[in-house]
Amino acid sequence: MAIIETFNLSRNFGKNIAVEDLTLTVEAGEILGFLGPNGAGKTTTIRMLAGMIAPTKGYAIVAGHRTDRDVEQLHEVIGILTETPGFYSRLSAKRNLEYFAGFYSSIQSPSEQVEKYLKLVRLWERCNDRVGTFSKGMKHRLALVRALLHEPKVLFLDEPTAGLDPEAATEVREMIRRLGEEGHTIFLSTHNLNEAEMLCNRIAVLHTRLLALDTPEQLRRRFFRRQIIVQLEASDAKVTDVVKGLPFVQEVREEGNQLVLELTDSERNRPELVKAIVEAGGRVITVSEKQYPLEEVYLRLIREEEGNES
Amino acid sequence: MSRRHIRNILLKEWVLLFTDPNSALVILLLPFLVVGQGILYIWLAFRFAGDSMLTTQVFQTALQKLVAAVPGVAQLPGNEQLLVLLLSQFTFFLLLIPTMIAMTVSTFSIVDEKLSGSLEALLATPVKTWELLLGKALAGAIPALVMTWISGGVLLLVVSAMGWGDITGFVVTPGWFLTLFLLTPAVAILSFMLGVTGSSRARDPRGAQNTALLIIFPVLALIGIQVTGIVWFTPMLILLLALVIGIADFVSLRAAVRLFRRESIIVQWR
Repeated sequence: MAIIETFNLSRNFGKNIAVEDLTLTVEAGEILGFLGPNGAGKTTTIRMLAGMIAPTKGYAIVAGHRTDRDVEQLHEVIGILTETPGFYSRLSAKRNLEYFAGFYSSIQSPSEQVEKYLKLVRLWERCNDRVGTFSKGMKHRLALVRALLHEPKVLFLDEPTAGLDPEAATEVREMIRRLGEEGHTIFLSTHNLNEAEMLCNRIAVLHTRLLALDTPEQLRRRFFRRQIIVQLEASDAKVTDVVKGLPFVQEVREEGNQLVLELTDSERNRPELVKAIVEAGGRVITVSEKQYPLEEVYLRLIREEEGNES
Repeated sequence: MSRRHIRNILLKEWVLLFTDPNSALVILLLPFLVVGQGILYIWLAFRFAGDSMLTTQVFQTALQKLVAAVPGVAQLPGNEQLLVLLLSQFTFFLLLIPTMIAMTVSTFSIVDEKLSGSLEALLATPVKTWELLLGKALAGAIPALVMTWISGGVLLLVVSAMGWGDITGFVVTPGWFLTLFLLTPAVAILSFMLGVTGSSRARDPRGAQNTALLIIFPVLALIGIQVTGIVWFTPMLILLLALVIGIADFVSLRAAVRLFRRESIIVQWR
């Protein structure tokens, strides 16, 4: 079931086009990674989907609410982690969260809800400390709690690990992963491609327009064919010749002790391939699939788009 | 729901207000400075100028209008007539208290949130713009109002302690009560609404402060009119004035909501 749907969603700032004709669907319970260079329109899209700014063209429906019309109802069912985790530095963590919790009709007892979530992110011991004394990582966790307090149907996270040290970033990622496992729909804007691949079911690449939207695997397929790497104990011309003669082998390349192959069916042909190599006297150490980093896919998409623009 | 939201804003604002030494000092000290200064000037006028002041055109005109409003004053000796006149006029000076507090407190209410980034998070909650603005205005106006009433009481106590207790009956008139309990709340809310509106439109604290300076001019104009005797504010006039300012309160809230541009706050403030 689609929980986010956008229809030609567009936003201009004066003459500048920030987002153009964005049409996409996000299923309930999905984590969608939203990638794009700086100024690609990621934050603008999140703000439009969160009902904080209006589109200049098109519309979006999030959790059953038009984002440009039912703003208050929409805000009851979405949570947003903004780029800057703004808090009242003179107030305690608990008081800060109770304040924000006080605006949601679904929260009957703000203090109980705050306690539950502060314990979840291991900040309960610091609940009475002023937020001004918190580290950046703690503030990010606190901001994530603020976005979660009312148990929203959809969570928008705008660069949740930007500027965090590796330990804090790992903690935040772990939280996002847990939320995904619990069935939250998460719209995750990030620059970190590994993070996107690690956490997201599908990835959207935006550069004002939507360039691609698919699973990381399918995005790779778009640019790179599947290749199998057979690591041999030693290279052997006889083995290579035998492999070349196999009917399901489309291409073979020798790289040191490795054979890099393209097969008709990478999954089903593998046992026969290994059998043929062994029978030809080859000693197989490993068989694996060549992994192209998502970064290469991303860069190709962006360069293609920039090439089209110029 | 609105009541819950406004209460939520009020409680948070009060904690912030009274944990900030500067704001707390302004709210708690400024009213007594205004009253103290007023009493000092009245004492100096009474002690050194005496009823000779009444011979000036301005005071004569004002006194005639005071006598018309409170006929009993005509029976008092000249120097006591001067005291009643000055103390009656001082009631309007009390309007400066909420106005001055608004100038210092409300001007930062939105700008501070813009700068800290908390406003964007707040605007992502189901809070309505009018709830936010009214909550912020009331959070400043209520303590300012309470302090104005306390100052009015302190003024009467000091006047009695100075041996002028006999004339308080001519000062504490229906007009005095209407000014304190009807006109002052209306002025307080208007001052804070204007302050919050200025704050929401300003790009930085300095801009907000510059806008806030405008708040005080209408009150100074009222004081000027009263002191020069151009108009003597009878209970009926005060009632009418309170009604007009009360309407202005509603209009200013509507205007503040219209002027509050969520989008530009979110997009242009980082």
